[in-house]
Amino acid sequence: MTLLLDILLSGLVLGGMYALTAMGLTLQYGIARIMNLSYGEFLIAAAFGALFLFTGMAVNPILGLLLIVPAAFALNWILYRVVLTPLVKRAKNQGMLEVDSILGTFGVLFVIQGVMQVVFGGSLQSYSYLSVPVYILGTTLAANRILALLFALVIGGLLYLLLTRTRYGTALRAIAVNPVAAQLSGIDIAAASALAFAAGGAIVGAAGVLVSMFLTFSAAMGVVFTMKALIVVIMGGVGNMMGALVAGLLLGIAETAVARLVDPGLTIAVTYALFLAALLWRPTGLFGRPAR
Amino acid sequence: MPMIEISNISASYGKHLALDGVSLKVGSGELVVILGANGAGKTTLLKVIGGLVPAPGGRITMAGKEITGVPAHDIVESGVALVPEGRGIFGEMTVRENLLLGAFPARAREAEVRNLAMVLSLFPRLNERLRQTVRTMSGGEQQMVAIGRALMSAPDILLLDEPSLGLSPIMCKELFQILARIRDAGLGILLVEQNAKQSLKIADRGYLIESGRIVGEGTGAALKGDPAVQRAYLGAG
Repeated sequence: MTLLLDILLSGLVLGGMYALTAMGLTLQYGIARIMNLSYGEFLIAAAFGALFLFTGMAVNPILGLLLIVPAAFALNWILYRVVLTPLVKRAKNQGMLEVDSILGTFGVLFVIQGVMQVVFGGSLQSYSYLSVPVYILGTTLAANRILALLFALVIGGLLYLLLTRTRYGTALRAIAVNPVAAQLSGIDIAAASALAFAAGGAIVGAAGVLVSMFLTFSAAMGVVFTMKALIVVIMGGVGNMMGALVAGLLLGIAETAVARLVDPGLTIAVTYALFLAALLWRPTGLFGRPAR
Repeated sequence: MPMIEISNISASYGKHLALDGVSLKVGSGELVVILGANGAGKTTLLKVIGGLVPAPGGRITMAGKEITGVPAHDIVESGVALVPEGRGIFGEMTVRENLLLGAFPARAREAEVRNLAMVLSLFPRLNERLRQTVRTMSGGEQQMVAIGRALMSAPDILLLDEPSLGLSPIMCKELFQILARIRDAGLGILLVEQNAKQSLKIADRGYLIESGRIVGEGTGAALKGDPAVQRAYLGAG
């Protein structure tokens, strides 16, 4: 019973991170229509940012969010405007934009990774912030994990409300549903796409800070987060925020369960097994949104 | 005075010339129909006016202001709303969200409440289905959402691309009656149709388009009585 609760709690924390990461990616992929392969790099960069602030300047990661999230927003906005807008402009169709953006952001991936290798080295990094055990119903969970999960829920919840309860948020979702009709409704797609891409960047920046509070990370780890975010996005349905949340939590719990009950070496295998199952049986996502 | 005036519009897809020097105008409170066979350029014409397809060389003015080459999202702000082929709705969203999005343009905000009441009185069925996902609705209901979305942008000119496509004869008749009511409320309507019989019944004027050129023009009644029109579009011998 304790083991089950333990798995559930740890799984929720991990799943919360996956869900948040996937929500950011679905903003970039579903609305801005950019398949950003350098997405995980921004997560790791934010983690290094939090590490630097904490160890170098004694700024705790929660305060660090206030600095890193706006910086990630700005950097991603610039990336979209400078590197990706020319690709968007010349793409004749969605397929062409997908190929071009994959190639383009693949390059960006190596640039960011290279810079991080040079500045922070290639070794595993971590720092100790609030790593005190908290007792919950007979099991324990580190305080930093609880805090990370809470913040992920708050940020994800706010994003969900913004996208569903405000007119501009609804307009952003409308672009994912039907870009032509969105234009005809007076929505400036170019400006909205830049904003959605930057917002996705801000979300992954937040996820990076939260992840750094309890996970060990290295400059080469970004791709793992990109892949997992992508898997969760596809499982949840592209552009579907609720889908990303549910699929993210499921993936976190499934991975934790396998790591604890079977073997930690199998987590990646489980991830891809779930992904394969989703692709085969629910190719449009758990909530069955039609594929584009 | 014409509300929207299109002069000498040409457009091409690659080497194929889809529109060749088209000129026409629509006044406020006027319902104008464009008749033509498939591939005659009707859809392209509406896309050009709506800002979705560029048309170098021509000139479009709306209430005396030039809107040639203005991007689609700004065309809406000038008072032109397009209901495109395939309806241009947000299938994965609710009726309410679709109508809310229709009122996204800045010009639509002030009259939003009034326009919503107007749309719901034109289409009472939508009132009962505000929370329904549009994708799950019938073709006729989706067309109501599409027109409702366009009306929410507080347009002066409404462009409609084959709104009767896929509707049952009864739905069709109802739709054209509603369009006549919208016209009577003072909006200009430019309607592209294959259903010549129904559309000429309500049209004030009409144009005939063939291979991208305007080949005929007249009042609705005159076109309905024209033997050539009857042969080509009304299925009479």
